[in-house]
Amino acid sequence: MTVRATSGEVEAPAAADRGRTSSFLPVAFVATGAGLMLVSVANALARAGEGTSPVIAWIGMLVMALPIFYRLISRDATIGERLALVCLLGIGLYGVKVLRDAPFFTFGDELIHTQNANQIGVHHHLFHENSILKVTPYYPGVEGAVSALTSITGISIYAAGTIVIGVARVLLMVTLFILFRRVSGSARVAGLGTALYATNFNFMFQGAQFAYEPLALPLLLMVMMAVAERESESGSQLRDWSAPILLGIAAIVVTHHLTSYATVIVLAVLSLLGWFVNRTWRPPNPWRFAVFAAVLAAFWLFVVASSTVGYLTPVLSNAFDAIGNTVQGEKAPRGLFQGSSAAAGETPFPARILGVGGVLLLLLALPFGLRQVWTHFRRRPFAIIFCLSAIGFFGTLALRLTPPAWETGNRASEFLFIGLAFVLAFTVLWAMSRWSESTRTKALLTGAFGVVLLGSTISGWPWDLQLTRPLEVGAKDGGTIVSQPLASAEWTAEELPDGRFATATADADLMLAVGGQTVIAGPYPNVEDILSNPKLEPWQTELLREEDLRYLVADRRVASTDVMRGYYFATKGESAGGPLLQKRILTKYLKLPRASRIYTNGSISIYDLEARK
Amino acid sequence: MRGHKDLRLTAAAAAVSALLALVLPVPWLSMLVAAPLFFLLPGYALASIAFARRPRGLAPLLGLTLGLSLSVLVLGSLVLNYAPGGLRAVPWALFLALVTLLACRGAALRRGRTRPLPLPRLRRPRLSGAVVLSAAGAALGIAAIAIAFVTFDAPDAIGYTELWMQPAPASEAVSIGVGSQEQEDTRYRLEIERARTSRTLSRSLSLDPGESDVLRIPIPGGPATRPERVIATLYKADSPGRPYRRVNAWIGTEGAGG
Repeated sequence: MTVRATSGEVEAPAAADRGRTSSFLPVAFVATGAGLMLVSVANALARAGEGTSPVIAWIGMLVMALPIFYRLISRDATIGERLALVCLLGIGLYGVKVLRDAPFFTFGDELIHTQNANQIGVHHHLFHENSILKVTPYYPGVEGAVSALTSITGISIYAAGTIVIGVARVLLMVTLFILFRRVSGSARVAGLGTALYATNFNFMFQGAQFAYEPLALPLLLMVMMAVAERESESGSQLRDWSAPILLGIAAIVVTHHLTSYATVIVLAVLSLLGWFVNRTWRPPNPWRFAVFAAVLAAFWLFVVASSTVGYLTPVLSNAFDAIGNTVQGEKAPRGLFQGSSAAAGETPFPARILGVGGVLLLLLALPFGLRQVWTHFRRRPFAIIFCLSAIGFFGTLALRLTPPAWETGNRASEFLFIGLAFVLAFTVLWAMSRWSESTRTKALLTGAFGVVLLGSTISGWPWDLQLTRPLEVGAKDGGTIVSQPLASAEWTAEELPDGRFATATADADLMLAVGGQTVIAGPYPNVEDILSNPKLEPWQTELLREEDLRYLVADRRVASTDVMRGYYFATKGESAGGPLLQKRILTKYLKLPRASRIYTNGSISIYDLEARK
Repeated sequence: MRGHKDLRLTAAAAAVSALLALVLPVPWLSMLVAAPLFFLLPGYALASIAFARRPRGLAPLLGLTLGLSLSVLVLGSLVLNYAPGGLRAVPWALFLALVTLLACRGAALRRGRTRPLPLPRLRRPRLSGAVVLSAAGAALGIAAIAIAFVTFDAPDAIGYTELWMQPAPASEAVSIGVGSQEQEDTRYRLEIERARTSRTLSRSLSLDPGESDVLRIPIPGGPATRPERVIATLYKADSPGRPYRRVNAWIGTEGAGG
């Protein structure tokens, strides 16, 4: 059995478009508000240390998403209503991340981009150094956009960043909807596909952070939407689309390296498929845009942001090496739901079941959707690329089995899920046509959507970080107190402006964004060993001198190297904040001639090594 | 732009929005007024140039409006980076308003004397169940955001105290700071010791949670002639024999210790 997803059959009936069908939107509004309230309460309890189970937040997410999906399955929603519903879904689920962290950015990448935005605010120009991630200032799209909001209105970087990424999220939902509608010819497929895209692993947290990719990906979708719309034009009208596509490509290139390469790949593959299907390079074949994107991305890479090569090469080569080692059996594969940090909590068994169950449901649904798309759309380049990426998505899951390749797979999945969402929308329609459009079928499909949504949230973000942790809290006797890493970063901002610090990675993020310091962390150069060895070797003191690192931040918490968990208060009941380093590792610096411990808050001490020099 | 009501409105809104955003003293109010200038008006004006002769449907227009507005913000930062004044409030406001005005003008020229675009008619909302439900949803969403910004007590968060020391430039005194991030009001005793001479001074202080105090304390025994270590030790009043925090700095050498 096949389903036809043409405008005549699946599209909302014309009568509905004229407004005869009552809108579901007000109900969705209330459901979204109630869901957000549940998420907010769950996070408030977590901040107060009263509850760390994410179940309340998950119920909130389901309260938001399920009614919308249920409505999107039905035939009688209008196009406008479907578009409004997917936008509401996008905004509501973006709220899950915002409510978790407000009023701070707490993801490692967010703190790095905050520093870039700080630098623009201070110097009123782009391209100032970022000592942790040197490549980021050379892709200043998101910080540049934020600078418009902060400089004109005076709102904080946090507020401006949250708004810009929020608008980008709306753009993502709108453009995905229009793209799917143009390719499938059906608003029903468009609504379902867009809602299904919200079940990708990174939609809830990583893809909603203040960083370059969450802005660049919606811009890529705008370009794809414009190319798809252009395909339906002819003659001189084709030219109308050139300016929006070129502007979109230019904005992507300035914003994010990987997305700009993805843009080149998508446009190149579309061009080749266009030739393969139509045997002509004439418009609307988008090869000229592919060339433009490639030239611009290459110019930016080699002329403006040449450090990108050195940044991306080890990431990709390590990923390939790791895959090879795992395949050859030289290294054991990474266990699923296994955090990279010693401080990571273990994912409970029911949550693991949900995570795996969600992926299995996606896999199970794939062939049915593929068959439908292939049957009806195999002469459309966009549909072919969607099918390829849907299959490719499951290939990236294998990358999750090796730690160095995990991030590559995780990033790629966000792009490939676009195709999978399109294909899965056809699976839903196929199921509806096969099992009748009864309430029971709709409820069953909506339930499956809920399982995939929760499963992807569990698979995409560590279990113990689904809710926030205490960072700034009220004290028993009144007043507000902040966590140790945050306090030490704030102290450096006041007392040691423009210092150069050797520090652990989590402390480094706060020292950078809050303290405004120059920080060196991690293994390149090898500050990591200096901070974790019990004894200082001569090469290490030499390294400190070479890098002109006057200050050294010694942190006893093992979590100080964890850029997801290392920012928060230690709480009772977790053995005083997790495992600690031996005390002698921290006091070794006092043996250096004339080194001073100028600051301490118990776990974190700051040493001044200037006199030693 | 005569005959093109949408373009006239867009251009006027951009000018007013830019001006008000600059002069309004309250950041959030300014943001509210400037939001169309950031996210709608430049994109709409640019989309109007591109599709001057054949307007797009509402949905693609919405996508283009948002996407092109964001693109203008991204690329605008690059343009302003090389313009006099850099990325400051006035250049940004001028840039966004100018892009919108010029694009509106361009769109009007491209449209020529063709039939003007009909503006979407907004129906006056009636107080119906739908409006009440939507308002309730919005109220719940706003309340959820408000809760996220409330600082709640967290009795399980383990409090702590900060101690720091910076020698004064002339090395006659040291600045010692104590910051309480404890859960309760806390009393302390601070002891300053000169390592070579073992001379000590002590002070008592009490701090509320979140409070800090910086004491400028003369170095016991006067300025040092040779490099010498000064140690500050903090005791909590409820365990006077147990050092709680300790910092040190060097005096008698230029730039020593901070």
